[in-house]
Amino acid sequence: MSKNFSVVGQSLPRADARIKAVGAAQYADDIILPGMLYGKLLRSPVAHARILNIDVSQAKKLPGVKCVITGDDTLKIKFGNWRLVPESQDEYPLAVDKVRFIGDEVAAVAAIDKDIAEEALSLIKVEYEELPGVFSVEEAMAEGAPVIHELNPNNISLQRKIDYGDLDKAFAECDLILDNEFKVHAVSHAYMEPCACVAEYDHNGRLTVWTSTQTPYFVQCLLAKTLGMRENDIRVIKPFVGGGFGGKMELRKWEFCAAFMARQTGRPVKFTLTRAEELATGRRRHPMSIRSKVGFKKDGTLVAKEFTAYLDGGAYNSMGPTAAFLCGNFGGMLYRYPNYRYNGYHVYTNKPPAGAMRGFGAPQALFVAETQMNMAAEQLGIDPLDIRLKNAMETGDEIPGVATISSCGFKESLLKVAEMTNWREKRRQLGKGKGIGIGCYSFISGGVFNWFNTQYNFTRAEVRAFDDGTVHLLTMASDIGQGCDTVLRQILAEELGLKMEDIRLTAADTAVTPQADLGTWGSRVTLMAGNAVRKAAQEIKDQLYKVVSLKFDLNVIHDLDCRDGMVFAKNRPDRGIPFGEAVRLAQRANRGEPIIGYGSYTPRGKGLVTPAFSFGAQVAEVTVDMETGAITVDEMNTAHDCGTPINPMSVEGQLEGSVHMGLGYALCEQFIMKGGKTLTATFLDYKIPCAEDMPPGKSVHVETYEPDGPFGAKEAGEGLVSPTAPAIADAVYHATGYRCTELPITPEKILRGLGKL
Amino acid sequence: MSLPKFSYLAPDTLEEACRLLAAHQGKIKIKAGGTDLLVRMSARAFKPDYVLALGKVAGLDHITFDPRTGLRLGAMAKLADVVDHPAVREHYPMLARAAKATATVQIRNMGTVMGNICNASPSADNIPTLMVREASVIALAATGEREIPLAEFFLGPGKTALQPTEIATEIRVPVPEAGSGVSYQKISPRSKVDIAAVNVAAFLLLDGERRCRQARLCLGAVGPTPLRAPRTEDFLVGKELRPEVLEEAGELAAGEATPISDVRASKEYRRLMVAILTKRALVEAHNQALHH
Amino acid sequence: MKTVITLNINGDRYEVAVNPWRTLNEVLREDLKLTGTKLGCGTGDCGACTVLVDGKSVSSCLTLAIELEGREITTIEGLAPNSEELHPIQESFINKGAIQCGYCTPGMIMSTAHLLKQNPRPTEAEIRAGLSGNLCRCTGYNKIVDAIKDAAEKMSSSSD
Ligand SMILES: Cc1cc2nc3c(=O)[nH]c(=O)nc-3n(C[C@H](O)[C@H](O)[C@H](O)COP(=O)(O)OP(=O)(O)OC[C@H]3O[C@@H](n4cnc5c(N)ncnc54)[C@H](O)[C@@H]3O)c2cc1C
Ligand code: FES
Ligand code: FES
Repeated sequence: MSKNFSVVGQSLPRADARIKAVGAAQYADDIILPGMLYGKLLRSPVAHARILNIDVSQAKKLPGVKCVITGDDTLKIKFGNWRLVPESQDEYPLAVDKVRFIGDEVAAVAAIDKDIAEEALSLIKVEYEELPGVFSVEEAMAEGAPVIHELNPNNISLQRKIDYGDLDKAFAECDLILDNEFKVHAVSHAYMEPCACVAEYDHNGRLTVWTSTQTPYFVQCLLAKTLGMRENDIRVIKPFVGGGFGGKMELRKWEFCAAFMARQTGRPVKFTLTRAEELATGRRRHPMSIRSKVGFKKDGTLVAKEFTAYLDGGAYNSMGPTAAFLCGNFGGMLYRYPNYRYNGYHVYTNKPPAGAMRGFGAPQALFVAETQMNMAAEQLGIDPLDIRLKNAMETGDEIPGVATISSCGFKESLLKVAEMTNWREKRRQLGKGKGIGIGCYSFISGGVFNWFNTQYNFTRAEVRAFDDGTVHLLTMASDIGQGCDTVLRQILAEELGLKMEDIRLTAADTAVTPQADLGTWGSRVTLMAGNAVRKAAQEIKDQLYKVVSLKFDLNVIHDLDCRDGMVFAKNRPDRGIPFGEAVRLAQRANRGEPIIGYGSYTPRGKGLVTPAFSFGAQVAEVTVDMETGAITVDEMNTAHDCGTPINPMSVEGQLEGSVHMGLGYALCEQFIMKGGKTLTATFLDYKIPCAEDMPPGKSVHVETYEPDGPFGAKEAGEGLVSPTAPAIADAVYHATGYRCTELPITPEKILRGLGKL
Repeated sequence: MSLPKFSYLAPDTLEEACRLLAAHQGKIKIKAGGTDLLVRMSARAFKPDYVLALGKVAGLDHITFDPRTGLRLGAMAKLADVVDHPAVREHYPMLARAAKATATVQIRNMGTVMGNICNASPSADNIPTLMVREASVIALAATGEREIPLAEFFLGPGKTALQPTEIATEIRVPVPEAGSGVSYQKISPRSKVDIAAVNVAAFLLLDGERRCRQARLCLGAVGPTPLRAPRTEDFLVGKELRPEVLEEAGELAAGEATPISDVRASKEYRRLMVAILTKRALVEAHNQALHH
Repeated sequence: MKTVITLNINGDRYEVAVNPWRTLNEVLREDLKLTGTKLGCGTGDCGACTVLVDGKSVSSCLTLAIELEGREITTIEGLAPNSEELHPIQESFINKGAIQCGYCTPGMIMSTAHLLKQNPRPTEAEIRAGLSGNLCRCTGYNKIVDAIKDAAEKMSSSSD
């Protein structure tokens, strides 16, 4: 474990902060091309219906309208991210025969300005034959419920299972068994940048698409498939992206429509969603109905858990298959569950589809698991901290057939956060209306399971070195605001002994950057792309070391190093030359060939889930107004293990953002729906926390070193979205005696729970 | 979503404004700050053919205080200016509190108190305090001017006593009586920045023995308009604010509310909050009165 | 019918023909291609579109362009004199890690400019209240608050 880093571990400002601070960073909607048309989508106003007829003739006649398309104009090819299981691909680029939720895309227009496009939409006449709809998993699974997709007559689109140990025997040996039902709700990613894209046709069979995406490669592949084009004829470029959080990792209808209509009209086409479209029809975190039975010994030892989750997937699968698996995985993480059974059902309903969202199954699973840990602690008369310490996972633990924990700072996190908050004393002393509670998490550092069924390595980097002492890093890793453009530069700068400003970066352009990268999700980028960058750097170093060795006639036993812009013999720093000089020599030695290094990374031999897990513990302190039920979160403290923080300021920023999102999930964010219609489609009604709502708090990194991560790094900032809700719920219980089993925790629920309402 | 099409009228004088309003009755909307109007228009809730902007009319943004006649707020007085105005802060601190509790910094820099009133939302932040202060609105039409007491101004959600030909030009607030106090209480439990789930204003005028000589309450977001609570007010008259009186006043007020459930709160919660906020408002108004 | 108006933006005069229903946000972004000002909601809720009009922060998505003849408009593009010297608020946002995806940033910075003009030495609570109209989904606001404190300190000590 070498800790003598020069760039890694530094809180450097983001490489792109300056361009963003002056307003010069271009996001997709900022792109304006000559002759560009404006696209708009016609969405279904009904939750479930057969389409009898669509008449676009009036819309087409409107002056200024250049293109109107419906499902019939397309190749009617279904798509979805789960290419590995083609039956799971259940969406058409535009509705064919049926609509399945309010907002389902039915037709698209492109016109010379937004006003005309808008007017054209109002001229499209669609005849629907309305069908009864189902709006909860219970309704969807009821006998005789209306069928949403013919392929799944019971509305269950898939089932995932995890099973190990002997559950029946284990439960028989328990001293305490908790068997509870929970409900967790849907929330929005609410990234500040509404989705937008621009497509341009080159009149030669090729398309370029700039789009607000986390996964340019997915968009490229799925566009090719749905448009009937070759992948290489489609170039997807990710401009600056204003947040994603999992909500921008699929092919979306507007991307298809922009591309299709650009090809058809020969003019660039732009689509930009409104916030109302985003909130009323966009992807969201899966609401779930969960039943969890968990058994303990008297001393708090966990013995068995049976966990059943019904995911309300909405009208399409989206990333539901992954959420269904990961939810079960996280239900068995964090502690040692010797006997565990999970059944997850992904259920169709006539609501906007749920998809991937920060935490990806973990916030739901961990709200349940952590709440039950707190319940058990109380019933067994053990401090919630101690019951966790007793069962906490440790480095070297294995989940049978699933994963190995190669680094784990969970216990250290628990002890640290307890010390930071004076946990034991406060837990004993706080009086009525004031409470302290705990929640913990574990998360993955990228996924192993290849559901996209890519034939490429999971990620790849290319580094080109130049004799002016600079390098060019090419990667398809996608910075969507989380900061990988900075972190990957830091990793490369560390490896090559260069400064940040010596590195030019080209990222996320499928025609230019190395194939492929699965994109930004599941906290995979730092570890996976970071490893690829290191390997590419290694190839550069190998080339440079040769010429430096030769130049100084170094004994073979010498180690070489790159640092401070020099390439030199480690023990004889005087025997070295500047990086650029080394590049020049290497080129000379190789008859003008450029100095290029490549690196790839695909997790292998690390089980099914992820190469590395992060851990952490969070403590919430709250005040509840016992008359109004109003909750104030007074403090939120965290200790966590993300391996080596490559950029501590960035990690902290991720963490603070997680607390924000976790707070919203716990307390104020909610889709209120009526018969499939979203009633909270503005930020006035869909309430995300504002600056005044954020509690103060500290965070501490617990030092670990992840052997599989670049410089020991692993996940940071996604898992942390999970502990906040259970920690607050526990603090509210501690303050009031109301135990929340149905998120969000609202003042009304507290007062009802206390019999005051 | 962008705005629907309309013709824009920006007269320089009130006379001209009244003329235009009369000429385009039923097809025209008045715009002050536009923070309500434009949001509704972009959601296509309104599609007026004409928008009549008051921004160019001179002398509509005044905020003046006269110890004999009281406070006058012009139709274009911005929420932010009301918050910061020294006379408002000194003599009507709860008006300033209500204006500050409205929306966000940017919206307060754009929106007006008058717009908040004319928009006639049951949850409007600025209505309850003005109501319990017995404020009135001056309405001007080509045919003449009239003064409408706020108590008679609200007819339903979005509906006011203004005729389609009338422009509201000024809010008049009487001089605070010695020995009186006001309180404004708002609960929006989801966030510190939010529309009220319930709001309550209380006015108390105390006699020498600290008994209530007059009491006025206004309950917001618990009915089709901000509501006065006459039975509770009557009950309070002649009483000292002892705990059991407060308790009963809260219950009475809750009984006078007619809330519904929506995205912000259920009707049951709203009703209970009326009781709680009424008690809190009375206590604070009482303290204010003692110090006035 | 379009009206030709002259807008004074960041000290420059732009003559534009606008329909009355065009918002300042649309004119800035679409007609003048000053795309630093963002659009996050269009309903006054998020603050991504914040600009200064006569020194006060307003939502450009709820402002009619036609009403701005003769007013002084400042957008994010008008804060820094050139690419070398940034405005102290911009410097602080960069150095304090207040920028992640950056989509809220222009609006946050303009709101900060308004706040510090009104109140050069705000307390933490005043800073948070000053951001009531600006939503950020990435940062949790804490680093933004730190940046504003830092900027306030720099700006008031340089003007002392
Ligand atoms: C993000 C956001 C948050 C908000 N939060 C709050 C909040 O917390 N509390 C709250 O109470 N409100 C809130 N509002 C609503 C709004 O900002 C206020 O009601 C504001 O005071 C309206 O003033 P305005 O000048 O913008 O009105 P406008 O939008 O110009 O007008 C509102 C209505 O009144 C009519 N009108 C205006 N002036 C006159 C006049 N002189 N004569 C006759 N009719 C007239 C208009 O025709 C229109 O129907 C919020 C709005 C937004 C966009
Ligand atoms: S875009 Fe104007 S406030 Fe959100
Ligand atoms: S930095 Fe992304 S919204 Fe604020």
